[in-house]
Amino acid sequence: MLAYVIRRIGQSILVLLIVGLVAFSMFNFVGDPIDNMLGQERTIEDVERLKEQLGLDKPFPVQYYKFLEGAVQGNFGVSYRQGRPVSEILLERAPATLELAAVSALFAILIGIALGVYTAIKRDGFLANFIMSTSLIGVSLPTFLIGILLIYLFSVELNWLPSFGRGEVVDLGGWTTGLLTSSGLKSLILPAITLGLYQMTLIMRLVRSEMLEVLRQDYIRFARARGLGDSTVHFRHALKNTMVPVVTIIGLQLGAIIAFAIITETVFQWPGMGLLFINAIQFVDIPVMAAYLMLISVMFVGINLAVDILYAFIDPRLRVAGK
Amino acid sequence: MKTVFLSALVSTSLALPAIAEEFKWAVTTDPQTLDPHAVNSAPVLGFLNNVYEGLVRRGKDMSVEPALATSWEPIGDGEGWRFTLRQGVTFQDGSAFNADDVIFSYKRASDEASDTRSWFASVSDAVKVDDYTVDILTNAPNPIFPGSIANWMIMDSGWAEANNAGLPDKENGNYATLNANGTGAFAVTAREPGLRTELQPHAGWWGEVEHNITKAELVPVQNPATALAALLSGDVDFINPVPIQDVARLQSNPNVDVIQGIEARVIMLGFPHEADTLKYSSDVTDANPFADLRVRQAVAHAINVPAILQTIMRGNAQEVSQLVSPAMNGYSDSLAARPAYDPERAKALLAEAGYADGFSFGLKCPNNRYLNDESVCQAVTGMLAQVGIKATLDAMPVSNYWPELRADNYDMYLLGWSPGTFDAEHPIRFLASTPNSEKKLGSWNFGGFSNARVDELLPMIQSEIDADKRQALVDEAHKILQDEVAYVPMYVQPLVWGTGSNIELTQRPDNFFILRWVTVN
Repeated sequence: MLAYVIRRIGQSILVLLIVGLVAFSMFNFVGDPIDNMLGQERTIEDVERLKEQLGLDKPFPVQYYKFLEGAVQGNFGVSYRQGRPVSEILLERAPATLELAAVSALFAILIGIALGVYTAIKRDGFLANFIMSTSLIGVSLPTFLIGILLIYLFSVELNWLPSFGRGEVVDLGGWTTGLLTSSGLKSLILPAITLGLYQMTLIMRLVRSEMLEVLRQDYIRFARARGLGDSTVHFRHALKNTMVPVVTIIGLQLGAIIAFAIITETVFQWPGMGLLFINAIQFVDIPVMAAYLMLISVMFVGINLAVDILYAFIDPRLRVAGK
Repeated sequence: MKTVFLSALVSTSLALPAIAEEFKWAVTTDPQTLDPHAVNSAPVLGFLNNVYEGLVRRGKDMSVEPALATSWEPIGDGEGWRFTLRQGVTFQDGSAFNADDVIFSYKRASDEASDTRSWFASVSDAVKVDDYTVDILTNAPNPIFPGSIANWMIMDSGWAEANNAGLPDKENGNYATLNANGTGAFAVTAREPGLRTELQPHAGWWGEVEHNITKAELVPVQNPATALAALLSGDVDFINPVPIQDVARLQSNPNVDVIQGIEARVIMLGFPHEADTLKYSSDVTDANPFADLRVRQAVAHAINVPAILQTIMRGNAQEVSQLVSPAMNGYSDSLAARPAYDPERAKALLAEAGYADGFSFGLKCPNNRYLNDESVCQAVTGMLAQVGIKATLDAMPVSNYWPELRADNYDMYLLGWSPGTFDAEHPIRFLASTPNSEKKLGSWNFGGFSNARVDELLPMIQSEIDADKRQALVDEAHKILQDEVAYVPMYVQPLVWGTGSNIELTQRPDNFFILRWVTVN
């Protein structure tokens, strides 16, 4: 087991290095940051001087090595656009993204599992079929379209919820939260639904198919034969077993939720890391882009690692084989 | 009696509290710095015009009017300008304004580290005569100097030095990047870069207050659909720009207003004048057709600008024949007509130049810099194809676009130009002068257009004091550019702003939004 964990960690580090290299080399195709840092009355000397000042005139390997050297120490350089340390900016934006991701995940998991169980148990019912048909929308429509539709319905037409932004936040010292204010909670609803809808649909369909499979198993039939009630059969036996593969998928989807926050944050102007990244691309703010990609990679790789290890513990068959 | 008195007192108390008026406005680009000398770009200068002030400023009709200077006059026979400063002005932190701040701001703004250095190319020195008089000496007579420094903002020398902001820092930023202390009508009271900027009225402002705003908030909203929804739902009071395809819909909504005008920016096509061959042609490999005047004329005649204005700009833009719009100082009225749309004449010119069967080439355009820029270029491609010139369109984000132009990787390109000095000399200096790094000329003349007479005319234009003589010189330069088809100017970009119907404001042709002209009803 220990050897397994060590090997997985080694693989994770290798993945991070490769991702960093690929991401960093891609920046050459994003454009030249100099033009956004100088006005239209700049001269050619201005361009050359600034390029030298930022180290952009050095060969790629030198730039990459310098970046890695800083990253290992938690120093990602200074944002070209804001003139502030990137670490500082990311820490400032992280609470917004993480809160949105957490609420979205909660929404997706709770509603997804509930609907999945319902459609499995009542699979021939009208409402179950309606839910299954409607869920195709969650899979088919792109995130930004869902977001804009929700904005027009609830903000423009009904005027129930704010159309963008995070509302008022409370500063808890190093962490700002929108969960403690009325406007913060209202602002969170539409983005969370938009971000979580796809994951909810995925979880619902997964739970449904797994549960249908489980309900066909012999031990379920024996449980019924012993005279156990429906609720006991459905939730204590069937759902428990259904959740084994669902846990794996949910873990992986958490990473996807944080990554896909980019689109949702752009549509709702949600002041998180995703919006920061999109703005960085437009401005060719290389330090911010590099730091964000590394951070997301670490998160993804970390979640994958955690899920793999958790899975090894949760699945008895793997545990036995390990010994 | 006591009861009557108390009643009167209560009535008076109820009448006293003023109604708070908040204003929220959305922009596509958040200003990247609060340092008025760090970046010479419209989003930064436009915003900071609300916080800082210069010696002069531009009014609602773009005329130059007094600000921190109450008057100015030429020194001798063009040796410079003498500015008489306004007394009793305070910065937002309470410090007094005087000549020391002007001298400091001149040194700071003209330093190599400042992006505003070009404004002072003709300045040799700035001299403090007394606490409220400053002489700015020029190398040669400079008749438009006062107007050309309308965006030069005065900083508090004590504040800047106390906070280690003696010079702009582009690489790491400094205190002035994130904080501001100007003499303007509004002070920055909260700032979250890229997210939100809060402004409140400067209680000690010297001017007459025309607005009724008690708090204003600037928020960047990049997504046009989101900005539109925010305006429609009342979450913001102002958005700029309104997507052109949504104008009609907004105009039919009673809760919002659409304010349409013409911006200062001219949209034009540029040519690779000095290239020997085309870069992206599949049939012309040993020549540059655009070096031939007749080919350039053919391009001008092939493009149907009225059609572009009607279908792509939805009637919001204005046809133009020069590098500046009619609203600019120095516009040549006598040269107002642009080449007529005439595909037959275009074909004849091409045949005369030896390209009866046409040729292919590569057209480079940005796709996120000017209003509907990619669509315009697609239209141009179609129009050129009708006369036999086949363009391969390569539209890209502006961040990739400028490097391509600098590397000469184009056969034709789209360019928009908005003169910061609101004067015709500006584009002649940057776009039409023979590129010369030493003299800082032609830095945006990617195509390398070169004309000896234009190069002679520029310094004459720059130093001619007599307005009529100066206009004649500008007219001559404009005529040369037209006759040589140095560029193909097409139209002046539209301004389309959206506001709540309870908002009154002024739209300025340079697309600057001035908060002190806003009234919330």
